[in-house]
Amino acid sequence: MSGLDLPAWSEPFTDVAGLARRMRLRGISRDWAWGGSTGAGVRVGIVDSGLEASHPRLNGRVAQSVAVQLVDGEPEVVPDEAVDLYGHATACGGIILGMAPEVELVSIRVLGADLRGKGTAFAAGLEWAIEQGIDVLNLSLSSKSEALFPVFHDLVDKAYFRGIPLVSAANNVPAASYPSLFSTVVSVAAHGEADPWRLYYNPSPPVEFGAWGVEVPIAWKDGGTTVATGNSFAAPHVTGMVALILAKHRGLTPFEVKAVLAAVADNPRRAGGEAASRVGGVAP
Amino acid sequence: MARRSVVARGLQGPVEQRLLQSIVDATVSLFDAEASSIALFERDPDRLEYRVAAGEHGAGAVGLTVKPSEGIAGFVFSTGQAVSLSDVAADPRFDREAAERTGYVPRSVAAVPLYDEEGTIGVLQVLDKRGSESFSLRDMELLAVFAAQATAAITATRVQRGTARLMTHILEHVGDGTLTEEQVDAIVSDATRGLDDHADTPFWHLVDHVEALRTLGERDLTLVADILNVVARHAERAPRRR
Repeated sequence: MSGLDLPAWSEPFTDVAGLARRMRLRGISRDWAWGGSTGAGVRVGIVDSGLEASHPRLNGRVAQSVAVQLVDGEPEVVPDEAVDLYGHATACGGIILGMAPEVELVSIRVLGADLRGKGTAFAAGLEWAIEQGIDVLNLSLSSKSEALFPVFHDLVDKAYFRGIPLVSAANNVPAASYPSLFSTVVSVAAHGEADPWRLYYNPSPPVEFGAWGVEVPIAWKDGGTTVATGNSFAAPHVTGMVALILAKHRGLTPFEVKAVLAAVADNPRRAGGEAASRVGGVAP
Repeated sequence: MARRSVVARGLQGPVEQRLLQSIVDATVSLFDAEASSIALFERDPDRLEYRVAAGEHGAGAVGLTVKPSEGIAGFVFSTGQAVSLSDVAADPRFDREAAERTGYVPRSVAAVPLYDEEGTIGVLQVLDKRGSESFSLRDMELLAVFAAQATAAITATRVQRGTARLMTHILEHVGDGTLTEEQVDAIVSDATRGLDDHADTPFWHLVDHVEALRTLGERDLTLVADILNVVARHAERAPRRR
């Protein structure tokens, strides 16, 4: 029970009234942020179980597939056949395309028979994606390895300084996991409102954003579909929004992207909100 | 050597098995579910092995092994991400083979990782809540609490096992050949039985947990109270054990 000093995964988003904010950036609307954007020209990397490129929900938008292999414990990035062992990456890709239909997807497979979700493979895949300059990365997985803390810390900084937003599913259980706990990452947990565009900002981190992650209809392996719950499916909703923002506003940095997300979030106005109208107003 | 392995089994098997069994029993009861199971990771070859199961449709899973690269258990093990799926049976492609081997294909399933400091060590699953077609966020939180319990149980018994192994090793060296294998076993067995009787009894575990609960907030305490209620109801129904 050692992890209970950290908040449970979706706790902030089960009581939305508690997310009321007095101050907010003014003048940033959803229309400004992504109105008219389809995500065209943006490459989205999905570091996960590998995209099933032929899945109908992916509309032929998988531009490249690579996988991390461990050779004598050393990671190597090699071309991959475009299949998904679990269906999880494909689910994420489908959610992103549902919001930003014209992005290109890059599949970076770091899970698999020979990898067992090893943190080193995850880190190697993340590093490759950052070096390729992929515009935004969806990380619906995490590592609990304390040994990899400094490795992920360096990678997350590298992404930040190169201007690549990392969207990471928060850990589903109350315990430390990386990279979702790092401050520059856009960390996402699930809320239960069935709306892909419903976004909350949590002013009490570590989890900063809430997006739809309960009973989400998703693409699954072998051309299938299912309905799933988990932070894994909340993160791609935010990745979709980030892709739309970047397509319209090329060159925004990760902290600017976060600020835009917070500005357009659906948090309620604080009650007795005289201060709200005076200081910041509420974005639509 | 045979005797040594008997001693080792005596130390690890029943305690770990019993604790894990009580956790899946409580899980089935709390969720009013058709089945619950715990699969643990084992090496050579790499696999997830279903150790315990409960519920009307759970028994078929015990002893079953799946590859860590397969199915929902493999996914949760590999990613460390909790997940629940509904409409599972409606999709003929989803994990049907593994499910059919257990003799039960669920409509919905929730799975959370068991992890210690080193990483993920197994998966706790629940199949089909009777009262609902799917699992809620709160269900997932509760399941995570049960997973933490299971991990604590596994860690405790593994520490005990490790202690026995270490003592055996030391005695063999210290004894410098003067102790027979049987004598070493007897000493280790005595010492570790003491461990079982004292420091590691459920009573002291409970005391430790209650101590830990003092730091919890109101919400977590409500959760704990819910769990205790279920366990108490379970205890009333179950035949009294010595």
